[in-house]
Amino acid sequence: MMDLKNFEKPEYFVNRELSWLKFDERVLSEAKDKSLPLFDRLKFLSITSSNLDEFYMVRVASLKDQVHAGYEKTDIAGLTPKEQLKEISAQTHELVHTQYNTLTRSLLPLLEKAGLHMILEHEELTDDQKEYVDRYFEDNVYPVLTPMAMDSSRPFPLIRNKTLNIGALISKKDRKKDKEVLEFATVQVPSVLPRVIEIPSGKEGVRAVIMLEEIIERNIGKLFLSNDVVCAHPYRIMRNADLSIDEDEAEDLLVEIQKQLKKRQWGEVIRLEVEDKMDKRLLKILKTEFEIKNEDIFSISGPLDLTMLMKVYGLDGFDEYKTPKYVPAPVPAFQNDKDIFQVIREGDVFLHHPYMSFDPVVNFVRQAAKDPDVLAIKQTLYRVSGNSPIIAALAQAAENGKQVSVLVELKARFDEEHNIVWAKMLEKAGCHVIYGLVGLKTHSKITLVVRREETGIRRYVHMATGNYNDSTAKLYTDCGVFSCDERFGEDATAVFNMLSGYSEPKRWNKLIVAPIWMKNRFLKLIEREAENAKNGLPAYIRAKMNSLCDPVIMSALYYASSCGVQIDLLVRGICCLKVGIPGVSENIHVRSIVGEFLEHSRIFCFCNGGNEEVYMGSADWMPRNLDRRVEIVFPVEDESIRAEAIHVLDLEFKDNVKAHILQPDGTYVKLDKRGKALVNSQMEFCREAQEKAAGNKKQNKEKSRVFVPAEPAEDPEEEK
Amino acid sequence: MAVTTFAAIDVGSYETSMKIFEFSRKAGFKELNYVRYRLELGRGSYTGGRLDVNMVDELCEILQDFKKMMKEFGVEEYRACATSAFRELKNPILIIEQIYQRTGVRIEVLSNAEQHFLGYKSIAAIETGFKKMIQKGTAILDVGGGSLQVSLFDKDALVTTQSLKMGSLRIRERLKELGKQNIHYDQLIEEFIRNDLTAFQRLHLKDRDIKNVILMGDLLTDTIFKEELDDHIITRAEFINRYQNTVDKTEEVLAEELGMDEEYASLVIPTMVICKNFLDIFNAESIWVPGVSLLDGLAYDFGEKKKFIKSVHNFENDILVASRNIAKRYSSGKNHIQGTTDLALTIFDSMKKVHGMGSRERLLLQIAVQLHDCGKYISLGDVAECSYRIIMATEIIGLSTEERQIIANAVRYNTTEFVYYDERNDDGSGLDRKRYLLVAKLTAILRLANAMDRSHYQKVQGLRAVLKDRELQLIIDSNRDISLELGLLKDKVKFFEEVFGIRLVLRRKRKM
Repeated sequence: MMDLKNFEKPEYFVNRELSWLKFDERVLSEAKDKSLPLFDRLKFLSITSSNLDEFYMVRVASLKDQVHAGYEKTDIAGLTPKEQLKEISAQTHELVHTQYNTLTRSLLPLLEKAGLHMILEHEELTDDQKEYVDRYFEDNVYPVLTPMAMDSSRPFPLIRNKTLNIGALISKKDRKKDKEVLEFATVQVPSVLPRVIEIPSGKEGVRAVIMLEEIIERNIGKLFLSNDVVCAHPYRIMRNADLSIDEDEAEDLLVEIQKQLKKRQWGEVIRLEVEDKMDKRLLKILKTEFEIKNEDIFSISGPLDLTMLMKVYGLDGFDEYKTPKYVPAPVPAFQNDKDIFQVIREGDVFLHHPYMSFDPVVNFVRQAAKDPDVLAIKQTLYRVSGNSPIIAALAQAAENGKQVSVLVELKARFDEEHNIVWAKMLEKAGCHVIYGLVGLKTHSKITLVVRREETGIRRYVHMATGNYNDSTAKLYTDCGVFSCDERFGEDATAVFNMLSGYSEPKRWNKLIVAPIWMKNRFLKLIEREAENAKNGLPAYIRAKMNSLCDPVIMSALYYASSCGVQIDLLVRGICCLKVGIPGVSENIHVRSIVGEFLEHSRIFCFCNGGNEEVYMGSADWMPRNLDRRVEIVFPVEDESIRAEAIHVLDLEFKDNVKAHILQPDGTYVKLDKRGKALVNSQMEFCREAQEKAAGNKKQNKEKSRVFVPAEPAEDPEEEK
Repeated sequence: MAVTTFAAIDVGSYETSMKIFEFSRKAGFKELNYVRYRLELGRGSYTGGRLDVNMVDELCEILQDFKKMMKEFGVEEYRACATSAFRELKNPILIIEQIYQRTGVRIEVLSNAEQHFLGYKSIAAIETGFKKMIQKGTAILDVGGGSLQVSLFDKDALVTTQSLKMGSLRIRERLKELGKQNIHYDQLIEEFIRNDLTAFQRLHLKDRDIKNVILMGDLLTDTIFKEELDDHIITRAEFINRYQNTVDKTEEVLAEELGMDEEYASLVIPTMVICKNFLDIFNAESIWVPGVSLLDGLAYDFGEKKKFIKSVHNFENDILVASRNIAKRYSSGKNHIQGTTDLALTIFDSMKKVHGMGSRERLLLQIAVQLHDCGKYISLGDVAECSYRIIMATEIIGLSTEERQIIANAVRYNTTEFVYYDERNDDGSGLDRKRYLLVAKLTAILRLANAMDRSHYQKVQGLRAVLKDRELQLIIDSNRDISLELGLLKDKVKFFEEVFGIRLVLRRKRKM
């Protein structure tokens, strides 16, 4: 076994939360990138904001829990929860500052030039516009508002998590004392109405939008008729309201927190965002009522909650300021009228989304639902789209008398309610719905179709790196493989047996399954490279994943690096590993690609003395993936598919447009592009996919004189 | 159809499992799905003879799931078998009916002898070398939850097979309380099993030279020896090494090390100790673990019956050899048995159209002949009853309890008055109509054949049977005085005619 003791020092690692913040900075750098179309930049800015919200709700909330539980154990980088929170507060304030700088200094002026006037303050409105918004207020807004006041008889009202509110001070006459007193009142900006409202600009060729809260603020007097409104300012809170304990935490911490559950402060406010011009008296009331410290307050010079920029992005028109929407290319193997099962029988098929269409995956389930020879369909579902065609097909299959088993992961973050609804629907249709295993999230992505053929039972398997979600398949880069190799089929059956609560199989043919087997397997693969390097054989590891923070894996990588293994990593998000530590990680290189599409596939390539082994799957190198989830990683053995997977890695390592390189000091920098041919890997994949599809179509056309019907238009992209 | 799927279910004492197989004439059979669920039915049944309601509920749920899984592979035929956990129930019929009503799955309870016969079939099925192996002394050790079975082979035939009530789960349950106070759990187990072990050694093993030991791998043995099992062979050194590494550890540590559930892990040490003690008395250098289970045996049996598989080994012969050895133990006359067997089979074969019995019944007849006078060993005056008792108390590998009952009854009525179905006041033998008929038919043939060799001199040298319409002519070839036989035959003939409804004519072959 590898001796990892020398590679476990805290100074060799980065705190995961701080590394995550670095990722959000990289997204923010896209918003700052002048070479990008203006509206794309708005989109990236919006994403940084929703990312940060999620970060607070889950990670910061969890750290707060730890502090309350008196948990003082340090993380891999040697920081206590308190120290982490302190550092996070400092860095997020900085990040938010940059967000608003970007918005006000670069994006708003550019929008102005592009002919979109964003009115940030209602005071800027023209008379015509004032009349328009006042009418809009009376017709649409006023009826759904619920103003609430606080006085001696009414306590401070419940402010809901993540909602935008307007706080006001109103002056009231105290009859007894015969003097004016200030009272606090608040009203929620209704989430049922659009946040961004287009209003007449009054000028040719210019369009104008205003935020809903500004319209309310302007008309706030109408809510408190008999009183004077002294001031009114928007604010927003985030609560520690996650019912479950975050799965990312260490085992002993979970136990600790569970013990301390009673002490846990439900609904504690962990972040307060206010307009920077907010009246001091008003702010004081909020601070007191929310019991919040200064470091958790964000004074913001601009509209709160920038996720609304996604709505601005979605405005009709301005096409010249948006990257044209990419239409996924058809998958060459399926560009024919052959039965999908026949195609798979002829050979394994590789899919690379969103460059290639996700349709074959949907069709796979649809065909299976209809095919009279299909006996059973089994699938794991983690997050699915709103109106999922896959769910519809599964329900149809059950109605057609197929045995349909669906694993629905209810623990998928923020999706619980949504998932329960369609899980019930599937049950109604006659599907056998499995709700996963206690204590283990099922994150694997696998579909199994059992078909009775002349030669006997044949199993068709689809294994993937991404969820069965036709919407995100247009935005996330993911890989998938169709196969009817019996060894995968047998393993797939065993996976579903296991997920239904039956004992694990005695052995796996091909699949590497977490939690029990995966980590050791990866460690063995890393160790093999180290051994090969020591023996003078070629040795390298090239891997692509979303996050890297498993301490054991990282120590093993340090060990391998110290033995001379070349390690090149593509880590989109969190990376707790440091590069360039003398004697430890000099042979490790890390880059992160942040682009138009969200990098999501996981590919692992090991040199194996020149006989390369390639794996793909659903697991990141994180403790939660390796120890507390059901994950699947599968070997890519088909020669041509392996070549394609290696090509994916090759091209992404050549990327010099969207790649950020991790530096020894922990920062990420983009490459100097001067004098180099630009390689934007995502755009390159788009081009390749289109070319392959076109080439294939042309070939088909030349072969036969069949007219090719037009492809139906894609569904409009759903917004995230 | 050229291809078919079949499911085998094993309702075991600590685990309920199912395998689904695909059969084709071309490829034989292959496993499609193997699913296991830990359910310790034995816990209740070994101590109290009853199953907890919750356990029955859980079992029903699993069987429902199994039915779904069968549909996933289009399974049309299945066989669900329970073993010792059900055998030791006080009310198995009630439980089986409940389960059937709730799940539609009919569980059959295998007798110990059937169970191990199937297990042994599965070994022979996967390994062609088996035939070669059993030319020399070979022991098969099958450690289950409730009991263990040890079978000895020599010169291509089964010598003996014994069931000992010392399965891993049973030992764990029996020693549960003691184990807490005793730090040397392994020694405790050794002492617990020593008595049975020495008895086995003295009575059956004697000084037989055992060259090969086959360990029937259930999951447990497979998991314990995961690392040693690449070649399916465990050497004695490997075994001792693993043994010493294991016996002092707690369940938690074992569970962690072996990557198994703690409940399973608690069975590891009992299993290890049992195996070790047997290896010691066999003095074996290495063990072969073929990694097959009862489920494979069930599949093999199905495939054989449906003619998907051609058997390489004559399994029926093993049953016969086993019963011959029983007869030998009770000093039955070899020649008389051989003579009677020939006569009985001649009669049987000549009148297949009349009696409508098949090859399985022919086998039962042979065994009945083998054992028809084993009771003499106990009492010359009460042979029938003693033979009946011996047969009812002796396991015969490959036979179900019902089949053994049929044989025992036929043997009993061979020399005592036949009791008619209606007259049978329930004597606990529990024969139903179908089995009653079979007993009658076998008795009729057995009586006739036996009477022809009454003097045990094998005076009948040849017998030719000719069936003409409703008349069976038996032409006896003998150049000795057979007046004793002919005289005694009269009342046997009457019974024979009554059972089969044909006329029996006895003739002596005319001499040229």
